Amino acid sequence: MVVNPASGDTRKMQSGAFKDKSKPKDIRSSNITAGKAVADAIRTSLGPRGMDKMIQSANGDVTITNDGATILKQMNVMHPAAKMLVELSRSQDIEAGDGTTSVVVIAGSLLEAAEKLLARGIHPSAISDAFQIAANKSVEILTKMSRRIELNDRESLVQSASTSLNSKVVSQHSSQLAPLAVDAILKVTDPAKDDNVDLKDIKVICQLGGTVDDTELVDGLVFTQRPAGANPPRKVEKAKIGLIQFCISPPKTDMDHNVIVSDYAAMDRVLKEERAYILNIVKQIKKAGCNVLLIQKSILRDAVSDLALHFLDKIKVMVIKDVEREDIEFVSKTLNCRPIASLDHFTAENLASADLVEEVSTGGTNKVVKVTGIQNQGKTVTVLVQGSNKLVLAEAERSLHDALCVIRCLVRNRALIAGGGAPETEVSLRLAQYAQTLTGVDSYCLRAYADALEVIPLTLAENAGLNSIATVTELRNRHAQGEQTAGINVRKGAVTNILEEEVVQPLLVSTSAINLATETVRSILKIDDIVNTMQ
Amino acid sequence: MVSLNPVRILRNEAEEERAETARLSSFVGAIAVGDLVKSTLGPKGMDKILVAHGRSAGQVEITNDGATILKAIGVDNPAAKILVDMSRVQDDEVGDGTTSVTVLAAELLREAEKLIEQKIHPQIIIAGWRRATQIALASLEKASVDNSGDPEKFHEDLLNIARTTLSSKILSQNKEYFANLAVEAVVRLKGSGDLSAIQVIKKLGGCMEDSFLDDGFLLDKKPGLHQPKRIEKARILIANTPMDTDKIKVFGSRVRVDAVSKIAELELAEKEKMKDKVNKIVNHNINVFINRQLIYNYPEQLFADAGVMAIEHADFAGIERLALVTGGEIVSTFDHPEMVKLGHCDLVEEVMIGEDTLLRFGGVPLGEACTVVIRGATQQILDEAERSLHDALCVLAATVRETRTVYGGGCSEMLMANAINDEAARTPGKEAVAMEAFSRALRQLPTAIADNAGYDSAQLVSELRAAHSKGDHTTGLDMEQGVVGCMKDLGITESFVVKRQVLLSASEAAEMILRVDNIIKAAPRRRGPDNRPC
Repeated sequence: MVVNPASGDTRKMQSGAFKDKSKPKDIRSSNITAGKAVADAIRTSLGPRGMDKMIQSANGDVTITNDGATILKQMNVMHPAAKMLVELSRSQDIEAGDGTTSVVVIAGSLLEAAEKLLARGIHPSAISDAFQIAANKSVEILTKMSRRIELNDRESLVQSASTSLNSKVVSQHSSQLAPLAVDAILKVTDPAKDDNVDLKDIKVICQLGGTVDDTELVDGLVFTQRPAGANPPRKVEKAKIGLIQFCISPPKTDMDHNVIVSDYAAMDRVLKEERAYILNIVKQIKKAGCNVLLIQKSILRDAVSDLALHFLDKIKVMVIKDVEREDIEFVSKTLNCRPIASLDHFTAENLASADLVEEVSTGGTNKVVKVTGIQNQGKTVTVLVQGSNKLVLAEAERSLHDALCVIRCLVRNRALIAGGGAPETEVSLRLAQYAQTLTGVDSYCLRAYADALEVIPLTLAENAGLNSIATVTELRNRHAQGEQTAGINVRKGAVTNILEEEVVQPLLVSTSAINLATETVRSILKIDDIVNTMQ
Repeated sequence: MVSLNPVRILRNEAEEERAETARLSSFVGAIAVGDLVKSTLGPKGMDKILVAHGRSAGQVEITNDGATILKAIGVDNPAAKILVDMSRVQDDEVGDGTTSVTVLAAELLREAEKLIEQKIHPQIIIAGWRRATQIALASLEKASVDNSGDPEKFHEDLLNIARTTLSSKILSQNKEYFANLAVEAVVRLKGSGDLSAIQVIKKLGGCMEDSFLDDGFLLDKKPGLHQPKRIEKARILIANTPMDTDKIKVFGSRVRVDAVSKIAELELAEKEKMKDKVNKIVNHNINVFINRQLIYNYPEQLFADAGVMAIEHADFAGIERLALVTGGEIVSTFDHPEMVKLGHCDLVEEVMIGEDTLLRFGGVPLGEACTVVIRGATQQILDEAERSLHDALCVLAATVRETRTVYGGGCSEMLMANAINDEAARTPGKEAVAMEAFSRALRQLPTAIADNAGYDSAQLVSELRAAHSKGDHTTGLDMEQGVVGCMKDLGITESFVVKRQVLLSASEAAEMILRVDNIIKAAPRRRGPDNRPC
């Protein structure tokens, strides 16, 4: 099937130099409209006074969130150009972790600017090239504005984490979560040599019950599984922990097997042998001096049979079963021990020791097992997040992830800039000045780009219920007078020096937002046709 | 006795189109396909969104690559199908010029349509085209430059070609960077032209400038627990063997025992067997073991005991390439360590890209091997960047084999068109008309390039033609400024092979379509009603 309704027209037009470009134009405007619609949809969730969205999925699950990437992921958009914006926000999530809403809002605004430029008859390629120049210049300006920090400057780190948290549902807990995020990151990094953080070293465990206030940083391990067995020990001091990957249950071969029982005596013998087999394993465990046993989940057979549990209870071993295979690496890294895959290796030197393993109750009826005081602990940390309901809990986890990412950005690129719309206003101003030194199409497009960036302060002000025009113009004015750090103080509802309010963000978040948004807008501008394919 | 009914030769539902109708339908189909991809031509060409229907409904692809677009659209028209196939062959053969070849063929047919309206027989047109093709080829060969004698100049040539190819793609903004990257990658191949030694890994996040060339090999896997994360002077065994258990693969095989202790013994035996296998593998004097299949906990631990880095579940393409670059072979039995060729490399370590940790094999013996890591904002951008880079690599590899170059920017097309025109003026007979038509079709390529960039094509192309007639054979279109300029100074160079292939394939395909005067569509095979629930 050839999908090209325009082919008939082009033949007619061939004779003259003038060509009717109605179809590419339509496609472009449809793409831009779709992009803008997506940006508009999440615009209201930007900033500390941004609103949340409630998203109901097809199967009835409800998510409440303020996180741009999450909203877009759940939105299930159809239009191909809109899909690109969704990807854009995901990419920002990977790269910087924060600013997922800003990046889409900026992209939307750039698309709007491009639309106006297109209407003036400027060729899309020219706009696209000019935008790239503008983006490079913006990054340069931002870098110049930024302030270097050191990782031992804890206060600055906490400030930037709380800036990120302030726009979330959990903002009232930001004073508690921000230091927590900073501590967690600092715990797993070596400030001297690391220039990246593997967030997999920070395990975030969510537990229903209690409030977000009860969220804590555990220097050790947390298991949400209850100790298995009828009457297990609840508290073990001076624990010797074994992490096993084999099963304590009747033997099983990899091939199918049948045990043929021909008479009553044989049945008795089968039972007895089974008992002896398990007892042998348990004895070995006891001999090694183990008193806490972590067992990997097995899908092939029972990881630990009831009979084994009974024996283990008797020798006062705390058993935690169903540890997922993916978690084994984290656990073994934290405990600094090896996972033991066979009984022969179950010896004292393969066990890890900890001061205390205890089942503690966390707000309400829920209980978790905590392992603390681990000797030679690896560079890992666990965060136990609590929340009163599932929605808050999920949002708290996402917010914490954002805060962790913000700190990670600072580890990668140790520079801070002011928040509250200050950098965008400054870039917009400087870029407009730079545009005046150029001539031709570039100058015109740079100017439009500069204006488009003002969408961030404008939206911040709008969402905070301020008079947006008055605020933005005042902001512009202050910046023109050389106050680089003037920003919108949402709490006071006025334009103030934002650094005094301790609103700061990592440089990487802003630069990555500008780079990614520009890259996406450029690629949308270059599209002139949508082709349906059969695959 | 003569029946009054018309004689029916074909089966009931078969269709037949004859003479004029047949020709018309092939022209329409081919021209439609040509127009579809025409707007992607040149440095300011536009992209297309491909929206998939059917199985992978909703998937979006954004591309500027002619072959990719044509591959994706399902065409029904036989002539259009020929053009699609042709662009696919161009893609396989030289990797680039897939749009040019389609557009040229379509333009040729457009011209042919006009000639047929003037009652010129297709065979005469074809005769004219054949002569025109020969003249064009001769003039292209004459204009080509061979710098292979001078390594420095040749390197510059390669860079120019890479830049020219990339300038029409998504990578145009960073073409300098990627041109260097592609040339470096191809130069590493040392003339072997084996592109499979160049691995491309796409990672979401970062911007395109964060892409880089790594002179090692990257594998998207992690070593097992408590095994060394960094190994120098690695001796690598690459295997495809089950590391869970060696199962007896007879359906229904099972063991029958009458006591649990016997099962325990069997279990132990199975474990011993695995231990033997691991020992055998370790006896190869290795420190890195890479398996295509899963490695279970128990063998993993045994490997850890032996200080061997064991990597499970490597993907198929991954280990084949790994075997190629490290010089090892893929083994499945381990009884004869002395006969197995191990792979070697200087360093195996973990590196972090974005959020992911990858395993890097540095200092591999096949010095040609390298990995290009592409970063970008969206999956679509990544995919398109990979395609663009692939095109550039193909063209460069082709140029390393056939070192002649020609000038781009519509320069070569205009050169050929003028040569044909000159010859046509000296040719008596109706072929001359067909030759002129051929030259007109060639001139459509610079016209499309100028049109796509939004410049006045009529003005530019006539200027270009005048310059060539004056004897300025390096003049072409400078799409940065929108003027006519010297391609030699601008460094807009293309590979001779690509241009030749474009010319020959397009004229062959157009000729083939023109020869058609009857299209028979076979009756569709009868199918029973589809009663499956959908």
